[in-house]
Amino acid sequence: MNLSGILVVTTPPEIDALIDTLNAMPGLEVHNVDRDSSKLIVVQEAESIHDEIDGLKKIKKLPGIVLADMVYHYFAEDESLMPELPEDLDELTGMPQSVVPEYLND
Amino acid sequence: MEQTRRDFLKTSVAASAAATVGLPVTQAVQAAAMEAEEGWQWDKSVCRFCGTGCGIMVATKNDRIVATKGDPDAPVNRGLNCIKGYFNGKIMYGKDRLTQPLLRMKDGKYAKDGKFTPVTWERAFDEMEKQFKKVYKEMGPHGVAVFGSGQYTIPEGYTMAKLMKAGFRSNNIDPNARHCMASAVVGFIQTFGIDEPSGNYDDIEHTETVITWGANMAECHPVLWARVSDRKMADPKVKIVNLTTCSNQTSDIADSEIVFKPGTDLAIYNYIAREIVKRDAVDHDFVNKHCVFATGPYDIGYGMRGTSKYAFEAEKDTQAKELKITLDKYEAIAQRKKEGQVVEQKNRAKPVKHWQISFDDFKKGVEPYTLDFVAELSKGDVDESLESHKKKLKALADLYAEKGRKVTSFWTMGMNQHYRGSWVNEQAYMVHLLTGKQAKPGDGAFSLTGQPSACGTAREVGTFAHRLPADMVVFNGKHRERSEKIWKLPAKTLNPKVGSHITKILRSLEDGSIKWAWVQVNNPFQASANANHWIKGARAKDNFLVVSDPYPTVSGKVGDLILPTAMIYEKWGLYGNAERRTQGWRQQVNPPGEAMGDVWQGLEFAKRFKLKEVWGEHKIPGLKGKGYENGMLPSVLDEAVKMGYSPEDTLYDVLFATAENKKVAWPHDPAVTKGHGNHIAEKLGDGWFPEKALFDEYRQFTVNFQHDLADFDTYMRDDVRGLKWPVIDGKETQWRFNEKYDPYVKKGMGFEFYGKALKATPTGNLDKPTSKEKKKLAGKAKIFFRPYAAPPEQPDNNYDLWMSTGRVIEHWHTGTMTRRVPELHRAVPTAQIFMHPDDASKRGLKRNDVVWIESRRGKVKSIVETQGRNRPTKGYTFVPFFDESVMINMVALDVTCPMSKEEDFKKCAVKVYKA
Ligand code: SF4
Repeated sequence: MNLSGILVVTTPPEIDALIDTLNAMPGLEVHNVDRDSSKLIVVQEAESIHDEIDGLKKIKKLPGIVLADMVYHYFAEDESLMPELPEDLDELTGMPQSVVPEYLND
Repeated sequence: MEQTRRDFLKTSVAASAAATVGLPVTQAVQAAAMEAEEGWQWDKSVCRFCGTGCGIMVATKNDRIVATKGDPDAPVNRGLNCIKGYFNGKIMYGKDRLTQPLLRMKDGKYAKDGKFTPVTWERAFDEMEKQFKKVYKEMGPHGVAVFGSGQYTIPEGYTMAKLMKAGFRSNNIDPNARHCMASAVVGFIQTFGIDEPSGNYDDIEHTETVITWGANMAECHPVLWARVSDRKMADPKVKIVNLTTCSNQTSDIADSEIVFKPGTDLAIYNYIAREIVKRDAVDHDFVNKHCVFATGPYDIGYGMRGTSKYAFEAEKDTQAKELKITLDKYEAIAQRKKEGQVVEQKNRAKPVKHWQISFDDFKKGVEPYTLDFVAELSKGDVDESLESHKKKLKALADLYAEKGRKVTSFWTMGMNQHYRGSWVNEQAYMVHLLTGKQAKPGDGAFSLTGQPSACGTAREVGTFAHRLPADMVVFNGKHRERSEKIWKLPAKTLNPKVGSHITKILRSLEDGSIKWAWVQVNNPFQASANANHWIKGARAKDNFLVVSDPYPTVSGKVGDLILPTAMIYEKWGLYGNAERRTQGWRQQVNPPGEAMGDVWQGLEFAKRFKLKEVWGEHKIPGLKGKGYENGMLPSVLDEAVKMGYSPEDTLYDVLFATAENKKVAWPHDPAVTKGHGNHIAEKLGDGWFPEKALFDEYRQFTVNFQHDLADFDTYMRDDVRGLKWPVIDGKETQWRFNEKYDPYVKKGMGFEFYGKALKATPTGNLDKPTSKEKKKLAGKAKIFFRPYAAPPEQPDNNYDLWMSTGRVIEHWHTGTMTRRVPELHRAVPTAQIFMHPDDASKRGLKRNDVVWIESRRGKVKSIVETQGRNRPTKGYTFVPFFDESVMINMVALDVTCPMSKEEDFKKCAVKVYKA
């Protein structure tokens, strides 16, 4: 499980519609609303960690968005702290783990 | 995971995020957040990546980083981070982190063609020393070199600059920052006589106009761009114009996007200047009091080798332009010459020389740059009408010329990485100085930097081949004297001959004039243009290449010895960002395995040299000048003995662990260290605190010398989130050169461009100097006239597309760190070639096809992207350089600005075809 806190900035006329849109999107919850500054804090829960980035990209594309950026991330404490590299990174760069990465000697 | 735990975590994430950006949270929520973070220790720090210099809060638990967030108290970013900044905490945990020194060995011995084998540090230094001493004995100080960095911490850069310049008496240390902002530096020094911006980021909140030139800020300085977009939302008067050669994300919130042909920014600036003059929008009072006009020679070459001896057959036609060019139709008009005229590049050796001219001459210079001429020359999008382009150029001139409108211009690599990068930097100041829109809140030409400490380390410490700390230079006798005094060196220890810039170091490894080199905090064999040559050079039999790196990289792979290196939060450090802000952090965690910080590596190496081995007489090729008639750097050993040193002392004793520095004890005051460790001090074990001692020693160069820094402990204070130098009486300086804000400006002057460099020049007309006598211009800035000149390589029938390299937001430079963060790697796993859909279909290509990108210099495979974030116009392509499997620098051209020696990564000709 991956959780991220996203700051969304919008404009007063758009704010209510945007809150509804965001809450209706899978994995998203609007947690804080500050009407004075038209800022929202949205918490995103995503299955795989790269979905978080896709999610953020989707938010950025919504109408009425002035700014959307991650400001906080929860590094799943009870899972592995040292993230496993996705397989395709090994494929792309050929850097498996060892004292002397094979990559250096090929 | 249980539902309640999940809800709880979500609440705490929301609370932390809200607190980070200063939104109110309820007490209950706050309490929940604190509980989730139990046992975490938060401390202030700085982002590892770009020159924006965002503050980061880092949380550690059990010697591991568990979280990072934007620092809400940092004035730069006010809690925000961009996507890669946000993953700072993960860059150190890639699974192929290097933890032991690796040496190429065969049969138990070092061998150039051996396999990388783990060795002890002792063994690593033994080989490094042996190889160094062999080359040093044979070739002297100029046979060895260090590839330094704009990502060095200040103590790291200072250690290496001092070791090279004062210890080995070699000026062959040059940073990757050469490729990042050397043109900006030349612009500053030529114009103001002192490096770095007059303004600061608060210009964004003060200005009414943001004009970006060759700067995709939305991707490359995202947090600043967030401030710009906030500013635009807050005030409808604010206008944004994006000048670019490739439509990009920065255009999304711009009022106008001007797509221009590569290199024609030179002409657009002159059009604006001409308009300012024609409309009499010149701030005559400001210009008369504070400025002079100047120009210089045009025939300065393109920074390539002057010989074709090392060129591949296919690149010989481009290389030949180094010595001779034929003026095209536009250059002829722009330079008041004839089309087809052959111009020998006679001023290649002295490209920076210049002389003062009259305002009338300046007017004559910009006269050919009419709207008709410049619009036809500069229109970059074949699908745009000339009328539309003209309208935009005129509107741009309107913004600059409008009296009372505040204007801030930002630029980065589009202007710096340019075959005339220094000229175009000078031109940015030209339009701001003419209108008096400089050094005032919201008004100013502001050069952004790419790297986190390009300013703080590379420039201010002076890890360049020609520089000493605080803007001093090696070829100035007074500057050497002052440095020798602070460093307690015998007179004449420092070498007056400018060393090799980074491209020259690479060329020298190729041609055998440098044979030992040490790479630190950068990856030059991936990051330098025309890489095929340099990789060959690195592998040449006689060369020995040491690479310090936390991860395996292309440079490591072509090296002979790899030293495992500590990363940012594993050591104490300070960085200086693009607005003159120096920021410090403590070591947060220990480095893994045997990895050690760069400061330690430099200090340990220094222990292996006795004064008698380095401070004797040396022959320096090309060394001339008073006191050096025989081309020899004299022995300073006798003098050293008189000063109380022994020839048997080591460089470690004399330069670093001096009696004075040893007084700076480790462990240090707990109010500063707050329980944080220092793996370097602990490993040295001789009781001093090198980062602090060296920083406070370096500080002596800056105080009362226009560059004042505060002391080390001040930057570590919790209530200090960096300070913008000059820091005087504990106070930072917001706008330099402006009496209201800058204590260095004499009372009653209003403005004073007090930088000391190049403040007397000959005088002359547009074409040449007419009097050798030097005219003083103390306190004044120079407004340069520089003409349009055409790029030396342009698309033709064979190589029929423009190609530019650059960044994407997710990755940092060569991807060494960011490609180890799964989230970032997933987001952008490989470098694509961005091209126009019609250009693709014309070549029988479609999106996601695998293609070859080929130039005169080499070829690489990549994947076609026609709908991405960058939207090139027809005839133009863009390929990011982060991906070592798409090593685009094998294709790119190593033309440099002849003045700054910065490579032009933005313009070369390629062909693209199906693989
Ligand atoms: S990469 Fe640059 S903009 Fe992004 S967080 Fe770091 S310093 Fe800020």
